[in-house]
Amino acid sequence: MAMRNYDEPVVDAALRRPNIASADIQLPAVRDYEQVDREIAGTLAPSFGWFGALGVAILLFLWGAGVWIYQIYWGLGNAGYAPPVMWGVYIITFVFWVGIGHAGTLISAILYLFRAGFRTTIYRCAEAMTVFAVMTAGLFPIIHIGRPWKFFWLIPYPNWRLIWPQFKSPLVWDVFAILTYLTISSTFLYVGLIPDIATLRDRERNPVRKQMLAVLSFGWRNSDSEWRHFTRAYLFLAAFSTPLVLSVHSVVSFDFAMALAPGWHTTIFPPYFVAGAIFSGIGMVFTIIIPIRKFFNLKHYVTLNHLDAAAKLCLFTSMVVGCAYLMEFWVAWYSGNEVEQNYFWNRVFGQWWWAAWIMLICNCVLPLSLFSQKLRRNTVWLFGLSLFINLGMWFERFVIVVPSLSHEFEPWQWTHYAPSWVDISLLVGSFGWFFMWFLLFIKQLPVVAISEIKEIVPPKMRHAHGHHGGAH
Amino acid sequence: MQGMMGVFRELDAATDAVRALRQERIDRITAYTPTPRHEFEEAFGTPASPVRRFTLIGGLLGATFGYWIAIWCSDYWPLVVGGKPIASWVPYTIFGFEVMVLIGGLSTVFGMFANARVPRLVMTVGYDPRFAQGNYGVYAEGTQQQLRSIEDTMRRAGAVEVQGAR
Repeated sequence: MAMRNYDEPVVDAALRRPNIASADIQLPAVRDYEQVDREIAGTLAPSFGWFGALGVAILLFLWGAGVWIYQIYWGLGNAGYAPPVMWGVYIITFVFWVGIGHAGTLISAILYLFRAGFRTTIYRCAEAMTVFAVMTAGLFPIIHIGRPWKFFWLIPYPNWRLIWPQFKSPLVWDVFAILTYLTISSTFLYVGLIPDIATLRDRERNPVRKQMLAVLSFGWRNSDSEWRHFTRAYLFLAAFSTPLVLSVHSVVSFDFAMALAPGWHTTIFPPYFVAGAIFSGIGMVFTIIIPIRKFFNLKHYVTLNHLDAAAKLCLFTSMVVGCAYLMEFWVAWYSGNEVEQNYFWNRVFGQWWWAAWIMLICNCVLPLSLFSQKLRRNTVWLFGLSLFINLGMWFERFVIVVPSLSHEFEPWQWTHYAPSWVDISLLVGSFGWFFMWFLLFIKQLPVVAISEIKEIVPPKMRHAHGHHGGAH
Repeated sequence: MQGMMGVFRELDAATDAVRALRQERIDRITAYTPTPRHEFEEAFGTPASPVRRFTLIGGLLGATFGYWIAIWCSDYWPLVVGGKPIASWVPYTIFGFEVMVLIGGLSTVFGMFANARVPRLVMTVGYDPRFAQGNYGVYAEGTQQQLRSIEDTMRRAGAVEVQGAR
C-alpha cells in the first residue's frame, strides 16, 4: 500500500473553493480597503445602459399607473373578475411580490445570524430588492379594493365614526404584518447603509453632494463607540427580522387558510408559503445580481463561489416547495374528502392543467439541474433558470388562487377565469415600478456593502498574525 | 480640552496606541476604524453595548400595545358571533408579535443613535476622512502637560502622522 508523505504540502480543495457556508469567505482579488472604496463607489457613475433600462422601467410604470386611473374611473368590473372568482391577478401579484421580498431579509438577517459568508456580497442587493418588492406588493390590496382612497380604514385610529377594524380578519393581520415588514426591512437596509454613505461622503468632492451625504449619514465618523453600538443594534435587528420573515408570509397564507374553500383550508399553508417565498426571492436575487456583477464589473466580489452557494440554497428551497406540492396531494387523498380530491385532480389534469404544469416544471423540475456543479457556476444558466423560477412562482400563486375559487363545493359554482388587459397592464406596471426604484437605488447608493467587504479583507498589520475577520 | 490625533496605517499599531494611552491613564480616547474590529473592543475593554435594554423595553412595550389595541377595540365595538370569544388571544398574538417587532426594532435603532450620539450635526474634532477609508485613527484628549506624552506614545506605537487638534 502506498504510504502518504505527510511532509508534502497538501493542496487543500477547500482553499480553492472555500466553505462559504461558514464565515470563511475569501476575496483573493481584493487587496486593500482603498480598492474596495474605489471599485464599489465607481459603480455609481451612470451609464447609457442604465438610463435606457430606467427609461423602460418608467414607461412600464406610467402605463400601469395610467391603466389604474382608467380602472378607478370605469370601475373594478374591468379587472376580469366574474363571480365567484373575485380574487385574480391582483391578489396573485400581491402574494408574488411579498414572496420576492422574503429572500432579502433571509439573506441579510437569517444568513447573518448563521454566519453564512456568501451573504456578504449579495445581501445589500437583496435587502434593497426586499424593500422595493414589499412597496410593490402593498399597492395591490389597495388596487384590489377598488376605492383606494378608503384603504386607511384598515388602520386602527380614533375617528369620528367610532368604528375600529375587525381584528379577527386576516385582512387586518396583513396590514400589520406588511407594514411592520416594510418598516423593519427599510430600517435594516438604511442602518446598514449609514457607514457606507459616510465613506461616500468622505470621498465626495462636489460640496452640495457631500453635504447631502453628510446629512444622510447622520454625521457618522466610524468611531469605536459608534461601531460598538452599531454592531449590537444590527445583531438585534437581524434577530427581530428572522421571525418576522417567517411570520409575514404565514400571515399572508392565512388569507387563504382561514377561508373555507377547497385547497385553501389547510394547516400546511404557512410553511408552504414561507418556503415558496424564500425560493422565489432567491430566484429574483439571481435575476438582479447576475447582470449587476457583469455590468458593474463586480465579478471578483460576487464570485462564482457565492453564486454556487446561493444556488444550493435555491435547490434546497425548490425541493421543500416540491415536497409541499406533493404533500397537498397526499393530504387531499388521505382526507377522503371528495371535494378536495376533485379539486386537486382538476388542478393538475383538468381545467387548470397548463398553469399547474408551468408551476411544477419551473419550480420543481428545472431547479433539479442545480445538482450539477457546472450549472451552479454557469451564470447564463442561473440567469435563465431564475426567469423560469419567477414565472413558475407567479403561476404557483395563480394555481393557489384561481382553481379554488373556480371549482368550489357545488357544480353550479364551477366557472372560468381569464385576466383582462387591465389586470395584465397592472402586472406589467408593477415590474416597471419595482425596477424603477431598484435602478434608481443602484446608482445612488452602493450595491455591495463597503464596510462589510472591508471586514473580509485582511487589515494591514505590523506584526503578522491570523486574520479573524471584523466584529460584525 | 486639547487633544492629539494620530493616523495609523496598521490595525495593531492603532490598538497598541490605545492600550499604551490607557496605561498612561488618558481617559478620553476615541478610535476611528473603517470597519468594526474586535481588537478595539479588547483594547478599550468596554462593556457590552446597552442597546439591548432599548430592544427589550421596546419589544415588551410593543407586545403589550399590540395585544391591548386588539382587545380594547374588540371590547369597545363587540362583534358577538355565536358563542365565540369577543377578544380571542390566538389571532391577537399576530398583533402582539408584529407590534413587538416593530417597536422593538425601532427602539433598537433609537438606542443605537442615542448611545452613539448620532445624528451629529458637525464633524467632531479629531476626525479625518482617511478614517473612513484605509487608515485607523486615535484621538486622545489631555491637559497641556499630557499632550507631549500622548504624541510620543502614538509615535512609539507606529503613528505615521500625529497632529494637535482642538
